[in-house]
Amino acid sequence: MSLRHHRLRPSTRSLAAPILGGALFLAAAAGPAAVLAEPAADSKTTGGTLIYLEQQAHTNLYPPAGGFYPNGGILNQITDKLTYQNPDTLKIEPWIAESWTVNPERTQYTFKIRKGVTFSDGTPLDARAVALNFDVFGLGNKDRHLPVSEVINNYDHSEVIDEHTVRFYFRKPSPGFLQGTSAIGSGLVSPATLARRFDELGDATAIIGSGPFVVARETLGKEILLTARKDYAWAPASRAHQGAPHLDAVRLIVTPEDGVRIGSLLAGQADVIRQVQAYDEKQVEDRHYRIAAPSTRGVNNSIVFRPDSPLVADVRVRQALLHATDSRGIIDTLYSRNYPQATSVLARSAAGYVDLSAKLAFDPDRARALLDDAGWRIGPDGLRHKDGQTLALAAYESPPQPQNEAMLELVAQQWARVGVKLTVLAGDAGSRTADDLDPRRTPVSPAMVGRADPDVLKSEYHPANRDVLRQKGGQSPRIQSFVDDRLNGLLEAIAAETDEKKRLALTGEAQAYILDQAYAIPVFEEPQAFAAAPYVKGLAFEAVGRPSFYDVSLDKR
Amino acid sequence: MPGMIGPDAPWRRFRLPVRRLAHALMVLWAAFTVTFLLLRVLPADAIQIKFQNADLGLDARQIADIRDAYGIDRPLWWQYGRALWDLLRGDFGLSIGSGVPVSDRLAASLPSTLWLAGLGSVLAAILAAIIAYGATLAPPARLRSLFRAIPALFVSLPTFWLGIALIEILSFRLGLLPVVGVEGWRALILPVVTLAVPVSAPLTQVLLRSIDEVMSRPFIQVARAKGAGRNRVFWLHVLRNALPSAMTMAGLMFGELLGGAIVTETVFGLNGIGRLTEEAVNSQDTQLLLAVTMLSATGFVLVNLLVDLLFPLLDPRLSGKSPAARGGVAWRS
Repeated sequence: MSLRHHRLRPSTRSLAAPILGGALFLAAAAGPAAVLAEPAADSKTTGGTLIYLEQQAHTNLYPPAGGFYPNGGILNQITDKLTYQNPDTLKIEPWIAESWTVNPERTQYTFKIRKGVTFSDGTPLDARAVALNFDVFGLGNKDRHLPVSEVINNYDHSEVIDEHTVRFYFRKPSPGFLQGTSAIGSGLVSPATLARRFDELGDATAIIGSGPFVVARETLGKEILLTARKDYAWAPASRAHQGAPHLDAVRLIVTPEDGVRIGSLLAGQADVIRQVQAYDEKQVEDRHYRIAAPSTRGVNNSIVFRPDSPLVADVRVRQALLHATDSRGIIDTLYSRNYPQATSVLARSAAGYVDLSAKLAFDPDRARALLDDAGWRIGPDGLRHKDGQTLALAAYESPPQPQNEAMLELVAQQWARVGVKLTVLAGDAGSRTADDLDPRRTPVSPAMVGRADPDVLKSEYHPANRDVLRQKGGQSPRIQSFVDDRLNGLLEAIAAETDEKKRLALTGEAQAYILDQAYAIPVFEEPQAFAAAPYVKGLAFEAVGRPSFYDVSLDKR
Repeated sequence: MPGMIGPDAPWRRFRLPVRRLAHALMVLWAAFTVTFLLLRVLPADAIQIKFQNADLGLDARQIADIRDAYGIDRPLWWQYGRALWDLLRGDFGLSIGSGVPVSDRLAASLPSTLWLAGLGSVLAAILAAIIAYGATLAPPARLRSLFRAIPALFVSLPTFWLGIALIEILSFRLGLLPVVGVEGWRALILPVVTLAVPVSAPLTQVLLRSIDEVMSRPFIQVARAKGAGRNRVFWLHVLRNALPSAMTMAGLMFGELLGGAIVTETVFGLNGIGRLTEEAVNSQDTQLLLAVTMLSATGFVLVNLLVDLLFPLLDPRLSGKSPAARGGVAWRS
């Protein structure tokens, strides 16, 4: 499983409809936004080029693929969205849409589009362009292999009412749509970009947006040069800065080596870097550089089971392993204060979070009792056996997750104390992809998704979406029988429930159900760790921790 | 007709090059076929690796459509034939992993690697000559044995470690050279050193052995007796006679350069053929890997051909014309 950072979808939603002007409070369940940056100094020096070191190259810049961190980090600079989710308040505010109305059934959304906005190729960003974007994101395009965006549910069609008004129709209620328009996967792109095939969108220069920066040059797999759009004049009203970006350009350089990224930053060769490991945090802070660790506000960094494997089909075995896992110990050994211990399936700052820490107690004695009860007896080799089978599990490490291999090794040590073997695999991408579809080879897997709407549970667990549990009829053709209709029913109900209170209640129920079934062992709330030089002012993050360089200035003295 | 079989018959002069060429083509074809088959043996394929990724949000049916569009489930012989045919037409196809034509990727990566490998081998040769000189002629015997130990040290330095150490000391501590965001020749200094050091080691070892052997031959004593200085003897007589055996290393060195480039380019974040190779293997990007393989194999073949052609110039015994080739006198001074 790769890194799954997803944007936040607020769930708590005022139901006063129609909602005009977008002052929509959503923040009931969300914590303070993770924004590190102080506002840009008044005496800032404008101009200059920022050097940003990224760990991995992007894969595809079709906006709905923005969930993958390196993709989203670029899309957030070059595209604008219909609405803006204020990362401090989590309110949905106007951006490219000046205002909007929603019908009470949540099946029709009408947006008034701001005048005078253009894509960087000169085409106007008008109602027609917006309609075209969401037709593609909502329905996909078979000929060009453009997939449906996972933040848009039940989309039917669009209607261009006039040059600056567009209405979207949904087959069923789609309560998540408004927030979906603010998501990283909903960046608006020029019709010319949407006319390309999916596999052509790996080329960053093909992505034409209306954002404050433009892809000027690309050395594939190595570097992207983003230059400022001097005519940019449509930032969200609540941003302190308006008009063109302060910076002239951003050089995004792919630097896979952790040590080279950190060293370059501290040696003054780079200004901002992504993916700082917990063990490097101290040397960064000792030098008065800043660590920013915005929360990804979604499903916690977890270990999930694939119950189609006979070894973990018994709920008692899964519960035993949940209680055999000491997440506090893992955090104290490997991570830092930027990695809070998980207290539920969702992060504390995620919408719909309920505190279920009581279900997550570390209790090895209980684990042993549960395994005994399930008929797994300790053999002479110290491992548990039943009917000639050994309780030996395997999981692939997920390299994009922070120190994932070390974390799985620690888990393996903890499980060994109750007689269960966990082998941590680190194979090539091909073996990983093939084995990941087969629960018999990988009964256990690390998983995480950053995204704070209750819908995130559906995204992660439903067989039609990410299908982390590997259910029959989902991603894998090799599943014999495992299906959990109760879980799927709950997830579908969350996606369709228009009453916010009921929606939150369902979300709590689903989290409790996932832990009662011990489908997942949440370990920590995953942040995105960045480090910035002291002279970098105005670095901000969108709601789930993608950097925004729009407001950045370099105050080098 | 009998006259045609004589040693100077015109067709005989071309027999060797023609055989060499046929041999080279066979090598290229074999490299192509083995690469193609090896990628097939690996689990999964480029489409799965790229698109079976939950972040992209594709469902099973969409993935099946993409597979169909790329023809990845067609019979093996069909895909093999098509890849071979495309290659013969000079079309490298589309890189599935990155979604751009393979020729674009090569165009973006090749210059950097050519500079890296070119300068790396030049530096390796210079290092080898310096070490060999020191090991042979440095005045105190202790210094000579110190020089003799250098190749063993160099060969055991992992490229990865050397690169990191150079970056840490020269760039981060002393601030002499930046590693990120530099362009042009300054970006190449540290990588070239990193690459040249391990490559120079086997070169030096072979050169030293060969020098030792030449030094013990009588003609050296003759030259010394005629009054030639130590330096003159070394550069003019010893090195010249020792060089051919070191030259045979050049073909092998090319492989070292490619292997070293993968690590060097990753450590320094350079965009070159080495990193492209790693990416192609990791993503099982058949078209990309086939192109890289063919490129490397062609390089190998050319380097070896070059060595074969240069050999007679350095060592007339191999030219086939001098009496030495027929077992005559083995040296000249």
